[in-house]
Amino acid sequence: MGPFKFGCLNLENHREPRKEQGNRENIKAKRKRPRWGSGFFSSIAKDDKGRLTCFFSPTNCCRGNDGSSRSLFFITHRCGELFPMATSVEEQENYKEKLPRNPNGDEEEGDPNGDEEEDFEEDFEEEEEEEEDFEEDVSQARLLSERNKLNNLFRRLSTELVTVRVHDVLIKGNTKTKESLIEPELEALKKATTMQELLQAASVANARLQRLQIFDSVNITLDGGPPELPGTANVIVEVVETKNPLTGDIGIFSKPEARSWSLEGSLKLKNLLGYGDIWDGSGAYGWDQTSEISTGVSLPRFKGLVTPVTARISLLSQDWLKFSSYKEHLLGLSVGLISTRNHDLSYNLTWRNLTDPSQMSSRSIRRQLGHSLLSSLKYSFKVDKRDSPLRPKRGYAFLSTTQIGGLTPDNRSLRFLRQEFDLRYALPLGFYNAAVNFGISAGVIVPWGSGFMNMPSSLPERFFLGGHSSPVCNLSGPTTLFGFKSRGTGPAEARRVIIDKSNNENTSSSSGTDALGGDLAVTAFADLSFDLPLRILREAGIHGHLFACAGNLAKLTENEYRNFTFQKFGESFRRSAGVGIIVPTRLFRMEVNYCYILKQFEHDHGKTGVQFSFSSPL
Amino acid sequence: MEDKKAKEIVLVARKACFGLPTACPTCLPVYFYLKFAHVPFDLQFNVIHPDSDQIPYVEYGENVAYNNEKGGVIETLKEDGIVDLDSGLPTHTIPEWVSTKAMITSWLVDAAIYELWIGCDGSTAYKIYYSDLPWPIGKILYFKQVYAVKQQLGITKVNAERREAEIYRRAAIAYEALSTRLGEQTFFFENRLTSLDAIFLGHALFVGQVLPDTSVLRSKLLGHGNLIRYIEKFKMEFLEDSSSSSIPRSPFEPSSSSTPQRRGPSSWSSKPRSKPKREKTEEEKTFRRRAKYFLATQLVAVLVFLSLMSGSDDADVEVDDDDGLNSED
Repeated sequence: MGPFKFGCLNLENHREPRKEQGNRENIKAKRKRPRWGSGFFSSIAKDDKGRLTCFFSPTNCCRGNDGSSRSLFFITHRCGELFPMATSVEEQENYKEKLPRNPNGDEEEGDPNGDEEEDFEEDFEEEEEEEEDFEEDVSQARLLSERNKLNNLFRRLSTELVTVRVHDVLIKGNTKTKESLIEPELEALKKATTMQELLQAASVANARLQRLQIFDSVNITLDGGPPELPGTANVIVEVVETKNPLTGDIGIFSKPEARSWSLEGSLKLKNLLGYGDIWDGSGAYGWDQTSEISTGVSLPRFKGLVTPVTARISLLSQDWLKFSSYKEHLLGLSVGLISTRNHDLSYNLTWRNLTDPSQMSSRSIRRQLGHSLLSSLKYSFKVDKRDSPLRPKRGYAFLSTTQIGGLTPDNRSLRFLRQEFDLRYALPLGFYNAAVNFGISAGVIVPWGSGFMNMPSSLPERFFLGGHSSPVCNLSGPTTLFGFKSRGTGPAEARRVIIDKSNNENTSSSSGTDALGGDLAVTAFADLSFDLPLRILREAGIHGHLFACAGNLAKLTENEYRNFTFQKFGESFRRSAGVGIIVPTRLFRMEVNYCYILKQFEHDHGKTGVQFSFSSPL
Repeated sequence: MEDKKAKEIVLVARKACFGLPTACPTCLPVYFYLKFAHVPFDLQFNVIHPDSDQIPYVEYGENVAYNNEKGGVIETLKEDGIVDLDSGLPTHTIPEWVSTKAMITSWLVDAAIYELWIGCDGSTAYKIYYSDLPWPIGKILYFKQVYAVKQQLGITKVNAERREAEIYRRAAIAYEALSTRLGEQTFFFENRLTSLDAIFLGHALFVGQVLPDTSVLRSKLLGHGNLIRYIEKFKMEFLEDSSSSSIPRSPFEPSSSSTPQRRGPSSWSSKPRSKPKREKTEEEKTFRRRAKYFLATQLVAVLVFLSLMSGSDDADVEVDDDDGLNSED
């Protein structure tokens, strides 16, 4: 759980509304309303401007108005407001929170410890900022006494519960956004019974509204309730909707398996209908590999479903001519139904067309060319307890992905069941910041339906081994085998042979083999990562690693399972080992590896040597 | 086992229906070519790629003869020396043989394509090509193919009827020429089987058995007795499923046999309904013209009535206004 986030007021920001509220005398004459700090702090000090600073523990921190990440508050000796001070938290948004104000506060929310409350109210007096300088000189002694009272108050806050009841929650500033979108995020606020709970709920609600990504800023003000009802508080939520709903970005990314680059651009339209919907259109063009255009919508709240629902239509074209002599064209609709940290459920309806413009494919690939309809449900369960996804040093991770295809009444759509498992374990060693990572991935695909034992599995759904994406970081099933090219191992079939009858010779030129993929795939690896001795490299995050990996593919469909034995499968494992350096930069993550192939079979494309791999920095 | 597989010839064609081993007009000639050559082959079907121009293809060993390469499957097989039915043709017949073959492969094949995709309703084409694909894909591909055929034959909304007449006229000329060429012989050329026989037989069986009875092209074909005789003879000899064929005594007599694969009575009768259709359309046109005149006159009458009525109303209103004015004064 990330740190709670509170909005904080800047001195300047707070000044203006105060001026508008009335002249000095009126303000002075008003009952001084105490302002409460929140959270737990560890010490109070006074800065050079005479302001008290309260250092908060990391569980409560806030963000400064200048966008810098600061987590300290400081409270003036009079206003008792909280202001941002120092150190870092996660997000970069601006937000503000005003402190609760209590009305004529003798009856302080039914608090039996009336004395201390009264003292507290007197301490936090509301005055004009212009008077601050004037009074500052006068009340130095007062400052010290108030400081002690503050100490006591905060100690009380951190030890006792102060009860409060929320009277009303008002939402302001939403011209386009529907209230039905904002209200569910504020449910916890209405149910808060104590001040601490209320403040916590306010910060959580703030964060959740920020996460919708449709507001420029979110202010949650905890105000006193109506004067006739003591012990109540009003919550006022002020949102500022994004002025410019259209954002776009463009970038060049590299695909590690294909060793090619792709140009990707996307446009986002936020909150078009007022339901917090985010529409985006994106296009990607990859040289010789994949091109895609897609458009999608993401709805944070759809008819009672707790998690956001996303839907996406995409037109994709993927070129596997070099590896398997076919090209894939997809027109698909995918709907993400449930998406939480551990669970993910999505439905996919795709029209797929496999063609072979090169006319060189092998027999098995030829049989698979054509149109197919894929209607599948995919569920994945993920647990990632590692300390870092990029360089894990301790913890474990587990991912299980299940995909069922053929969910149409029409029995002519693709029917299969695909299951993948991923297990990772990281063990820290004491020296050189080193850690050992173990991992094993397995997957199997089985067609179902009448006569499924004789049917071949669908070609694009099979497992292919090869490529250089790092198995330590990626939890994507059995796909990687260091040292082997993309789709560089497993069952293969000879391509078409063209008889060349020139010069009166019957020479036949063989043009290679097609990788057919397998129905059962297992990979395993062990990776020892360590810091390099030079301090510069260490600080840049550059580290080295020693690795060994093994993997194998087998065909089970079309009655091949009868010939399958685990012993044969184990004997035919491809193996490789090597050493390398990983350079993480802001734009990409580069790996330079020297791989040595320990075992490969004919038709495998494994090469001993130095390989580069680039992947996204995340 | 692998050697056996390597030597085996496999023909991959579109699915079988309408009593034929394969119902697609491009695949039938290849089938008969291999049959005429008495070459053992294995027939397999591809039902998921209806818009591929690679099908039919013949696999022999590790090589493949695609439909869209080197002039077609038959030409490739001849060139590679796998199956050559035309070896030994005397050189003096070759010009005529080549031009007859060209006529079949251009005029008759175009006519068959037109009739299948545009001339008749889509159910025949759907059954051959799309019945094994999921419904939405099949529908979309069908419309795509109809559009592609129109592009290929140069048919637009403006010249549709003209092109249709032209295609049918050419087909009629071709049938006439072939009928004259065949005469009373058994084969077209040199009293022996050639690839031309295979090509024509494939086309003719498709037109005669797959196209519906209402087809204009079919009626044109069935107008030639000797062609029908030719077809029947080879059908009996080379098609294994003999129960599906009916042997009509006369082309104008409806046959009594029926198989589940055929739609309706398997008659060879040629009773084109195009003529009554045309008469009907003329009647319809005059009817529509008259109806338009009638509606127009009715509309004019209503407008005149309304204008007259509103004119009188205005007069009344003006009178009132004058009265009002007068009263104000």
